Amino acid sequence: MTRKSKNSFFKIFCWLSVSACFGTLIFLFGVIFLNGIPAISLDFITSRSSNFGSEGGILYQIVGSILIVLVAALLSFPLAIGTAIFKSEYLNNRKWKKLSNVLIFGLNGIPSVVFGIFGLILFVNILGFGISWFVGSIILAVMMLPTITLTTFQSINSIPVIYRESSLALGLNKWQTITKVLLPQSFSGAITGLFIGLARAIGETAPIMFIATAFSGVDLPSGIREPVSTLPTHILALAQQATNPAALQNAWGASFVLILLVMLFSTTALVIRKRQLSHQRL
Amino acid sequence: MKLLLLTILSTIVLGCASKETINIGGSTTVLPVISNAAESYRALNPDIRIIVNAGGSGVGINQVGENKLDIGMTSRSITDTEKQKYPNVDFNVISIGRDAVVPVVSSEIYDAGITALTLQQIGDIYAGKISNWSELGGPDQDILCVDKETSRGTRHVFMKAVLGDKEAPAPGADLVLGSNNEEQTALSQSNSAIGMLSNAWLNDDVKGLNILMDDGSKIEPTLANIINGTFPITRDLLIVTNGTPTGNIKAFIEYILSDEGQRIVEQSGYVRIK
Amino acid sequence: MFALNNNIGKSYVVFSTFISTMIIFLILILLLINSWDAISFSGIELFSLEWAPYQNKYGILSMLYGTLIVTFTALVLSIPLGIATSIFTAEILPYKYRFIVKSLLELLAGIPSIIYGLIGVAFFSIWVQDIFQLQTGRTLLTAGILLSIMVLPTIITLADDALTNIPHKYREASKGLGLYDYEVIKSTLLPIAKSNIIGAILLALGRALGETMAVMLVIGSIDKIPSPIYNLLTSGQTVTSKLGREISETAFGSVHFSALIFMGFVLLLVVICFTLIAQYFSNKTERLYD
Repeated sequence: MTRKSKNSFFKIFCWLSVSACFGTLIFLFGVIFLNGIPAISLDFITSRSSNFGSEGGILYQIVGSILIVLVAALLSFPLAIGTAIFKSEYLNNRKWKKLSNVLIFGLNGIPSVVFGIFGLILFVNILGFGISWFVGSIILAVMMLPTITLTTFQSINSIPVIYRESSLALGLNKWQTITKVLLPQSFSGAITGLFIGLARAIGETAPIMFIATAFSGVDLPSGIREPVSTLPTHILALAQQATNPAALQNAWGASFVLILLVMLFSTTALVIRKRQLSHQRL
Repeated sequence: MKLLLLTILSTIVLGCASKETINIGGSTTVLPVISNAAESYRALNPDIRIIVNAGGSGVGINQVGENKLDIGMTSRSITDTEKQKYPNVDFNVISIGRDAVVPVVSSEIYDAGITALTLQQIGDIYAGKISNWSELGGPDQDILCVDKETSRGTRHVFMKAVLGDKEAPAPGADLVLGSNNEEQTALSQSNSAIGMLSNAWLNDDVKGLNILMDDGSKIEPTLANIINGTFPITRDLLIVTNGTPTGNIKAFIEYILSDEGQRIVEQSGYVRIK
Repeated sequence: MFALNNNIGKSYVVFSTFISTMIIFLILILLLINSWDAISFSGIELFSLEWAPYQNKYGILSMLYGTLIVTFTALVLSIPLGIATSIFTAEILPYKYRFIVKSLLELLAGIPSIIYGLIGVAFFSIWVQDIFQLQTGRTLLTAGILLSIMVLPTIITLADDALTNIPHKYREASKGLGLYDYEVIKSTLLPIAKSNIIGAILLALGRALGETMAVMLVIGSIDKIPSPIYNLLTSGQTVTSKLGREISETAFGSVHFSALIFMGFVLLLVVICFTLIAQYFSNKTERLYD
């Protein structure tokens, strides 16, 4: 084969790959949108589910999902920011920096079902919380931690040294430098990470399916030790009835709503990141 | 954003201050009855919250044993191993209905002529001794043998009848599924499958086999045959509590056993207990 | 006053970091402790082929094999596709379209796994069933295909980053020597980006190993190694799928539960190993001849 033909083959292969990927993307979104939109109605979003989920709507699933991830964000945010600040301002040794990187990336890669069984052992059994939505939030908070930490760290780290030096020269101590100079500038980076984490957390099924959720009869939880219904676990239950057209349609509807929420969080993160990039300082 | 958060949190705190909750979970066979009963009961008693979960008979018994559920649903009896696991728990079993575990085949197989099999033949399929429908007089197709997770009540009852041991392994199985719903889905997606379902899940794609008895008679899986006891694989649908039920739990159980509750049992496709 | 604030602040960040970094050890230790029952009960038999809790047999080998083969299939499908696509986006795609393409990729990466599972049950398993004339579409192959789609964005994004980070002068120098685009990429760019691309692949591997929902719905849950061993068109079982299906059925503290936790522990160790190796590769940049 001549060099030229090898080149052409290669280019064709690249174009084919891209088409395959693009085609897959279109297929996936097409399926979700085309099947999901007919299933959505105002009624669907505002009524409770019934009869195995094949009838009724998904109101409490939406509420449950949002509740769990918002509380998870509340729990995770301060810890993530603290860790990011520590990594960026207090850790000076190369070895420690690498170690902390390894540990945080390690946490990021842990399979979601392992988080689930961890939560089951520690919170549901040893600490005796039982099936509780709050435990679900804790576990999701742990899962979101690396994401938020990393983006916040990148933000803080990219602030030029001169800001720290000027601040110290003006007589501010370290903590004041952090809170009054560094954090305000890196806050949007932290928020970006938060929304990316939220987008990931709201779609998670495995960590919460045996520690925080119930299938029916759930409305707003009235305490910490209660389960909730969430969109992903609802879709799971419906997916197991795939030949029941009513259930399948509701599954698509729920998937569509879930994807909308995920996209909402992701685009917010994107918008914040773009705004931050255009506010370049110095 | 903060406002949204505040609203949600306050709704939780204020909105549903103290609702009595009954936690129920377990067998997917009993689930439709309890789910529907819970919905009608809630209409009569809006202060009571009834949370229902699936998971299978094993989960139902398990969680009652660990005091995580108030009522467990099970479609089989509690095994000795389970009783030993929870020596401090007094498993109180109440029967709320009856149904049959029916060996089911894909509609194409049924239409091709296989409408009745002996329990022995069915057992042989699951034991791996028969693997093609032609060996039973049907079309030349591999049998897709659909099994269930080992703790499921439906499986216990089925295996006891066809293989003699409720915990028998099934070397001939090709697929292992969970709930009645999932099994029904897989059976309708295939055209040469055999599986086990509660009689309430039979439909056009999933046909119940008649059981060929030793004397040559064919018993159909109809409600009449369940009531008069001639269908060989029948069972009670049970709910389990830890000790004698009291208060709200007792009231709900009495509702299920009442005429209205038993009507719900029948509407779900089962046989009432009284 | 300010000193106090400083100290409170310092304790806060130290505390946060402590929690963030120690959680991973807590998880490992907790899982190990809970596996102990099974380890002392079955010992080396934990790695046998038969999983039959009612007969006290807890062999996890079939699940491990299922995980490996499904992941392998996913990588075989996604690596060539992913790298070729990343070459496209990095080298061939005009600059003005990059933002849209990258956003689309992020969109693809953001689809929750349960939705992949739903699409798998509703579409892919039926297609596999029809194309290969099988009795059921719930096979190792179906799971592998789903996983390959799920890890594709990871490979594409990271490989694309790796390629775009290479300064232009390398391309220009190669072209100046008369090489075709293909040869520029193959002989100049890919070797430089090699470590990062391997890192990307390992990261994708880690993700595929740990995926639960999509696999659980389409794999068929048969605890057996297929015969012959390379037959992807039968059902099987992975560690994640088994955990997802059986953990709520077992009593906390029983040997059955412990055996399941042991499986999760083994999986965790494997994933952590791959993540560490991926870290090593991603940080190792080839010498750029400056």
